[in-house]
Amino acid sequence: MADAVYTGSMMPVALHINGQPWRGDVRAEETLLEFVRERLRLTGTKRSCESQVCGACTVLVDGEPISACTYLTFEASGKRVTTIEGLAPGGSLDPLQEAFIHRGAAQCGFCTAGMLLTCTALLQAHPQPTREHIDRYLNGNICRCGAYVQILEAIQDVAVARRHVRERADGRSGRSTSERPPRPR
Amino acid sequence: MLRPLRVSQPTTVTEASAELARLGEDAKVYAGGTELILLLQLGLVHYTHLVDVKKIPALGELAWDGKTMHIGAAVTHRRLERSADVAEHLPLLHQAAARVANVRVRNVGTLGGNLCFGDPHSDPAPALLVYNTRVTIGHHGGARSIGLDEFFVGLYETALAPDELVVEVEVEPMPPGVGSAYLRCARVERPSLAVAVAAAQRDGRLAHVRLAVSCIGPVPMRLQELEARLEGATLAEGQAILRQAQRHYEEILQPVDDGHGSVAYKTYLTGVLLGRALTQAVGANGRQ
Repeated sequence: MADAVYTGSMMPVALHINGQPWRGDVRAEETLLEFVRERLRLTGTKRSCESQVCGACTVLVDGEPISACTYLTFEASGKRVTTIEGLAPGGSLDPLQEAFIHRGAAQCGFCTAGMLLTCTALLQAHPQPTREHIDRYLNGNICRCGAYVQILEAIQDVAVARRHVRERADGRSGRSTSERPPRPR
Repeated sequence: MLRPLRVSQPTTVTEASAELARLGEDAKVYAGGTELILLLQLGLVHYTHLVDVKKIPALGELAWDGKTMHIGAAVTHRRLERSADVAEHLPLLHQAAARVANVRVRNVGTLGGNLCFGDPHSDPAPALLVYNTRVTIGHHGGARSIGLDEFFVGLYETALAPDELVVEVEVEPMPPGVGSAYLRCARVERPSLAVAVAAAQRDGRLAHVRLAVSCIGPVPMRLQELEARLEGATLAEGQAILRQAQRHYEEILQPVDDGHGSVAYKTYLTGVLLGRALTQAVGANGRQ
């Protein structure tokens, strides 16, 4: 669109995308989905239902999941945006991605980027999530192949691995996990 | 694809209202945008100008003053879901906020936006109707306050004038000892039926009964006639009254046959969910 006939507002934006600073002007109506896919060519974020229902375009803004399809880019100014490309900086996979591969939690893979980002936010808020926590976060991410069971297994794998790491750390500091004293009330 | 939009970001209610007055039908108040951006993309509404109200400090406030909860219109569902004050004093709203759509919508969508959109398929509306809830409406000449029941006028229609905006809602909790329950039936994210009930049981008799229903009629509503009939009844009598009130639901709520179900199904289900919620409310004894 030529600037001469453009009738909208240009909005100044300064944000971090996957840890890198980005500064520039965007059209007021530019969605975050257009911004990451078309402007930045980060095409891991998928366009699907475009009505906040399916979760394929999930990205994290300051660590919280949002639907990029209906989120205006200027709203992300001053914030940290994380797309699927930001989960594996330098090519080394996140433990959640490893767990998805190990469990076969992706079939066609179209929902996977959004699933992984929602799961990342879930595990950030609830390192040992209950089934209710998982439902609260994942009820808005739809997988048409039906890999839900494997996705749940992958989440549990990461939660268990993190618990083991923590317990070993506690063990090294002199406390035995099996004989932990009762918590003070 | 969205058409070009101009965005203004006023920092006071007066400025926002003046902007709305100046731009007339070309402009719409914009907060979370979870409904508005969707409708613009679908081409169901046409605005060339958005008045972003999130820079107005009062609209972002969430405060408990010891008696009343003040919820700024631009407070997100997620903040309500995570607020310890809301969980403690307004358990119904806390439950309803946690049920809105999905976590992404809750992170962005606002309480004021949900109410102003006037969609009858609202989670927070029935919860707020059970409490004494007032809506503070601002315009460039000042402010006015109306009850939430007067705010909903019709399908997607509210009492707001074109140059007015919701500043905050003020919510008073139920008295101590009054329990409550929020129940919904949904095949998709928007509920097909949602009910909110508050009640206490004293010496085997129901007291402080409040019943609210959303989704099946054009506006979310309190059922005050039924509340009066339940007051002083036993729980079993109350259950029977709610189950047998299908004709009343049809007259008062004015349901229509649609993709969510037939009128007969909706009124039957209303009796079932209200009955269940009543049992939960008196069983919970003041806690949720």
